[in-house]
Amino acid sequence: MTARRRILGLDEKQRFMIALIAPAVLALIAFQIVPILAGANASFRDWSLHDPQKTWVGLKNYLHVLGDHDFLTIVLPNTFGFMFASVGLSLVAGLMMAMLLNRRFAGRWLVQTVILLPLMVAPVIAAIMVRWMFNDQFGVVNAILGLFGIEPLAWLTQRWTAFFAILLTDVWLWTPWFTLLLLAGLQSLPPEPFEAAQIDAASPWRTFRYITLPMLRPVMVVCIVIRSIDAFRTFDIVWTISGGGPARATEVFSIYAYVEAFQFLNFGRGSAAAIIGAIIIVVFAMLLYRILNRWVEVSK
Amino acid sequence: MTRASRVPAERSKGFFEALAPGGRRMLFGLAAIGVCLIFAFPVFWLVLTALRPGYAVYYVHRGTDFTLDNFLEVIVQEAVLKGMFNSFMISTLATVISLGVTVTSGYMLSRFKGPIPNTWFSLIYVFRCVPYVSWVLPLYFVTQSLGIFDTYWGLLLPHVAVHICFFSWIMKGFFDGIDPSMEYAAMIDGCSRWGAFWRVAMPAAIPGLTALAILCWLYTWNEFLFALILTSHQTQILTVVMAQFVHELGMDWHLMSATGVLALGPALIVTIFGQKYVIRGLKV
Repeated sequence: MTARRRILGLDEKQRFMIALIAPAVLALIAFQIVPILAGANASFRDWSLHDPQKTWVGLKNYLHVLGDHDFLTIVLPNTFGFMFASVGLSLVAGLMMAMLLNRRFAGRWLVQTVILLPLMVAPVIAAIMVRWMFNDQFGVVNAILGLFGIEPLAWLTQRWTAFFAILLTDVWLWTPWFTLLLLAGLQSLPPEPFEAAQIDAASPWRTFRYITLPMLRPVMVVCIVIRSIDAFRTFDIVWTISGGGPARATEVFSIYAYVEAFQFLNFGRGSAAAIIGAIIIVVFAMLLYRILNRWVEVSK
Repeated sequence: MTRASRVPAERSKGFFEALAPGGRRMLFGLAAIGVCLIFAFPVFWLVLTALRPGYAVYYVHRGTDFTLDNFLEVIVQEAVLKGMFNSFMISTLATVISLGVTVTSGYMLSRFKGPIPNTWFSLIYVFRCVPYVSWVLPLYFVTQSLGIFDTYWGLLLPHVAVHICFFSWIMKGFFDGIDPSMEYAAMIDGCSRWGAFWRVAMPAAIPGLTALAILCWLYTWNEFLFALILTSHQTQILTVVMAQFVHELGMDWHLMSATGVLALGPALIVTIFGQKYVIRGLKV
């Protein structure tokens, strides 16, 4: 090729690269980065929604959130507890489902469709349904427990039972997602190691432990990272099932930010809480990525 | 309750016959049935509640009165019909636009090295982590100042922005799995860079794109938070209409459930016909 024409100091290849990402970059700037900056701006100001002074108050909102006893002792432990429990349980359940569906058997298509059902249900419908099923007077859960002679429980008005209902919903909703990705991962594994294991008469458990699991690790790492981030910012199911209640006992950090902004009508403080959460999860996600990445490479 | 569990056995006699020889087979079959029951139960309960007349809804597990009136009552409401239409339009358009925007971005991340792709990848990784609450609230003001609040664009474009980070990442994976040497060969034969992307790489990525399109459609169809904050009467989608049911009519569980079942219908069709492509497409 002859000398490349340069426009704006970019050669032809660089211009191609920029043209490829330009639409995505523009949409990202307009509808994500600009709003985030607007929120960050509000977090440094006295911005109550009923009387917006918009005066600069520095770090006052941040200090208030970080000094809030509820935020430190309830919201943060809830958020992290929810994240670990939800990701851990749905990973294990999803792996089991994927192993089940990776076999050939009559009726597999139907089982697979049923397992994918939660993927089709809007989280908000699922959450309303869970509220209905766990209703203390008319709910089916108490009715079933009643058959076994167990006293009806007021599920959604106690901290741990409400938390359990939320966790169960989240695991139910997200297990199919893990199943899909892990099943796709399982089906793309090469058959040779499994044939070798069969020839060596390895037990199913050992085959799973020493062949399937290590080979699935890259897929699992991506799943865990993506799902952890999503679980950290869960909003709709918690909001619909318990609203963060009883009192503020099941609040996670998204609810905290929303409540600060729209129930206590302090947009500045809500934005500060949202930014603090964002910083925590970005740092956490980077650490997680590093750790899991190393773990994958070591295992190779 | 047992309908979901019985069908696999009825569908093929081989299933039950096969159970007889080994205990392991038996156990496996029971596990499959149990799993189906657990996964289907909330949906089963939704359908059952939707079929109960209003006076019996509080004792769903007692009595045998069933009716289809709830569906009739719901479907004649203008808000529900409009919500369904809006949901369908927005999900479809958001899917087309999101994929169109991110397929090039993923291709770029996969095929090039250097400062530009690295910066872009770090950006999408970081912005993927930012919680929705910290941008959906200011986004309300942004769409209003752009004059697109309560129009299709006002909900579509934020949805596209939601998908950019995740989809670019996944698309990169798809293109990583496709050997680039065909594109180099095409370019040596005089194909332009765009031509190599469009005529060579794109057709190879179609299975992945199909999988992502189905997941994207389902996600947008079911989405609630953005739809709640960024829509008013013109563009309300079905999930928002349904949540209002519970509010306005004071917990009309049977009507809410009927709307829920209606919302489930299209998603069910998409999943039943799409699951094969999803699993095939996600295999990188």
